[in-house]
Amino acid sequence: MHVVRDVLDKKLLDHEDESMGRIDGLVMQIGKSSQPRITHIAVGGATLWARVHPTLGRIARRMAGKWGPKRREKVRIPWSRVRTVGRDVTLDVEAKHAGAIDWEIWIARHIVERIPGGGHEEPDDGD
Amino acid sequence: MKKILQISLGIVTAVGGFLEIGSVVTAVQAGASFNYQLLWAVLLGTICLIFLVEMSGRLAAVSKHTIVEATRERFGFPFFFIVMIGMTLVAFLVLVAELGGIGLSLQILTGIGFPWWAIPVSFLVWLLMWKGTFGLIENGASLLGLVTLSFVVAAVRLHPDWGSAAHGLLPTFPGARKASYWFVAVSILGASISPSLMYFYSSGAIEDEWDESYIPINRLTATLGMSLGGFLSMAVLVVAALVFHPRGIDVQKFEQASLLMTTALPKWGFTLFALSMLFACFGAALEISLAIAYFFAQGFGWNWSEDLAPSRDARFCLTYTIIILLGAVPLLFGVDPVKVTVMSMALTSATLPLAIVPFIFLMNDPIYLGKHRNGWLSNSVVLIIILLSFILAVISIPLELIGG
Amino acid sequence: MEIELELLIGRKVRDVDGANVGRIEEFRVERQQNALLVEAYLIGASALIHRLSAWTLVRPIQRFLSAKSIYSVYEVPWQDMDLTDPHNPVLRTAKRDLRHSR
Repeated sequence: MHVVRDVLDKKLLDHEDESMGRIDGLVMQIGKSSQPRITHIAVGGATLWARVHPTLGRIARRMAGKWGPKRREKVRIPWSRVRTVGRDVTLDVEAKHAGAIDWEIWIARHIVERIPGGGHEEPDDGD
Repeated sequence: MKKILQISLGIVTAVGGFLEIGSVVTAVQAGASFNYQLLWAVLLGTICLIFLVEMSGRLAAVSKHTIVEATRERFGFPFFFIVMIGMTLVAFLVLVAELGGIGLSLQILTGIGFPWWAIPVSFLVWLLMWKGTFGLIENGASLLGLVTLSFVVAAVRLHPDWGSAAHGLLPTFPGARKASYWFVAVSILGASISPSLMYFYSSGAIEDEWDESYIPINRLTATLGMSLGGFLSMAVLVVAALVFHPRGIDVQKFEQASLLMTTALPKWGFTLFALSMLFACFGAALEISLAIAYFFAQGFGWNWSEDLAPSRDARFCLTYTIIILLGAVPLLFGVDPVKVTVMSMALTSATLPLAIVPFIFLMNDPIYLGKHRNGWLSNSVVLIIILLSFILAVISIPLELIGG
Repeated sequence: MEIELELLIGRKVRDVDGANVGRIEEFRVERQQNALLVEAYLIGASALIHRLSAWTLVRPIQRFLSAKSIYSVYEVPWQDMDLTDPHNPVLRTAKRDLRHSR
């Protein structure tokens, strides 16, 4: 398997095939003499924008801490939660618990649902 | 039966995507200034679009990915970001032009200036996206868009010399006013070969849940749909050639263009023009707003679907809400939609390579298309389009400055 | 040590003598239950060209470029890559000892 071609930037789906964003980054553990291992999937603006330019990554990090769901740590999903790697990558987690769709839930609750016709369901109510 | 109805995706893409303020303005200018001479540009644009749209549909049906999704996944985010910036900026300008087109149509019908229509029109476009489903938009816009067939009726009633018109389908070099000729030619191509149209169509194919069995209907839809669009544009050009050219009228304002059909259809011509523009621009505004919102949502991996209630794809809906609101702003300040149209077409030509070059890579990717990859014919056409788009990119801006 | 893999893509790699080898383009991995084990790094002249090399249009171009030594993709086993400074990846071998990727 090739990571850049087959894993990075792929869509993430949770255990009910709900969309969870994309694989924006991957965390690799290296040691002095041990084989490098990719242990986590990283999701989120800070990870994503850093790929374009480190300054953009820093700005995204700061904004994530100040606005919306005000998340301080990056969203990381352990590779052990990956079920399949194919067209998309499916995980065996529930979307709303993984932190990957915090922004979606926040915008739904604070903005969209306040507008008439916006609906009143949570994005992942498993219907 | 359902598959045949898919033709409506082709029609809405044609009428809202192909025939909109840009193509009408350029077709009228072409006919008024150069008689039938530039029909070849419309034909060329139509042929290119048929191939590009067919490929967009095929990519979506086979890979179950839209062009945007496939671009991010195969090229990575940093490259994708460059494409996104270019495409969405130009698309936003086109949105302003289309919203302005709706406003201008209402202006000539009611006498109330288009800046006053900016807010109500944007609100209506937004409301339709907020409450409507993809099917409603697709079919509604198609049906209403059929009023543009009145352009064909007008053309026939004016008894053109079909022989000379047919001559115009072959490229000729201009005698006088060379810069202006090539500028209009480039504008016609910029108005027809619009990447937003491709992005919209491939997303529509996913919304309509196409799969490999839809490949034949996709070919039919793309061909018939884009041919209809091209045919309508040609009708506009022919009418303009017959009405404005003999009188030496250089059409610069929307109000002048509105007299297009009054010679052929004295009683209804004016109203039919206004309604045609109204519905075509409305369809276009919906498509462009969707195309931009799709770009963000698909690129970043958000939920996106016109069929979902807004709270289920909140970021997607917030995106199009903000875009439509922003689109109304220039119009509120009285910025001339026709000028924005002309500028947006030059910029579309200039940024075309950004969209088409990654696209040819995708259309040859066995991972996405398997045995449905491009054959030699499709690849040859795309390579020619890429060449054309680089030429357009290089000459469109200078030409606008000289000949516009 | 933890590294953000996505930031390694496109980073310039030097060999043990300091010569320029190319840029990190791809990572060949073996999938396991809890992690992906990195088997080898693919180093090449252009990050973009190799990413797209899985298909028909570019292969003939790539083969042409490889033949003329304009463009090659090297396969570096994980043991031969030193990432202690992730901003300056260094090989533990010399460029001439590298294997070409298929």
